[in-house]
Amino acid sequence: MDTATLVRVLGTVICLVGIVLCWHIGRTRFDGLSSEKLLSVANAHLSQSSFWKLSAFAGIVLVPLAAVGIANYHTFEGVQEVAACARCHVMRPMINDLRNPESNTLAARHYKNHWIVQNQCYDCHSDYGLAGNMEAKMEGFRHLARYTTRTYSEPIELRGRFNNDNCLKCHQDMPKFEVVKSHQSMKALLADSSTSCLNCHGQAHPTRAERTPGSADYAKLMEVVK
Amino acid sequence: MSELRWEAWAAIVAFILTLGYTLNPLPYLMGAFTFIAQPLFAVAMLGYAQKVFRDLKRRKVI
Repeated sequence: MDTATLVRVLGTVICLVGIVLCWHIGRTRFDGLSSEKLLSVANAHLSQSSFWKLSAFAGIVLVPLAAVGIANYHTFEGVQEVAACARCHVMRPMINDLRNPESNTLAARHYKNHWIVQNQCYDCHSDYGLAGNMEAKMEGFRHLARYTTRTYSEPIELRGRFNNDNCLKCHQDMPKFEVVKSHQSMKALLADSSTSCLNCHGQAHPTRAERTPGSADYAKLMEVVK
Repeated sequence: MSELRWEAWAAIVAFILTLGYTLNPLPYLMGAFTFIAQPLFAVAMLGYAQKVFRDLKRRKVI
């Protein structure tokens, strides 16, 4: 069983336990419980009152914390997959282009040549290191809020400037990169992202015009690549 | 301690949303978990904590 399935099963069990527990807690009159009547739970003997107070603590504090932990783990791990980006329709022009073997955009070339083996979207759009990853995740929450409240307009645009570190984290210090003279002369400009890698290496994704709904290319880009 | 009715119902709604998201991680369910279920859990926990605090005060434990 892979981790994703395990997390899903565990999350389901925790949520079902929580629902049953809260259902009983909601129907319990705590003031009317006896502190003398004993209940046996495994080897422990608890008063009826203590049992339900502990159940309330478990149902309203412990089990929700476990459910939130599991679901957030599910979020943080799941959103790294290309399939997670493909679930939002605004991303489909980019994803379909990425998966199109006939496309020659930078993203498609990285995908079809297996230059990035998995999580291709996340690999190029999350900055290097823990702080960068957290930043990418916070951006993800902003995207989620905009998408679910439909406060976005198409074609979507990258906010700010693309950080060259996302390219350099793989390419820098590689012999094929170092041997190129312009990389040496522009090292400082590339390092602080004043010059974009895309200036010389082409479009990363379909152009803004191609991704505009109603354009001739848009319908083609929205078709799922078989 | 008095009843925990609304706290339990808030948690039940949050659990249902969390369950939906866990089984089917679509954008709207992710949004429901992130922006509705998590705050509901927090509200239920705060309500519970307030009732426990009041109960302890009534019994002069604190």
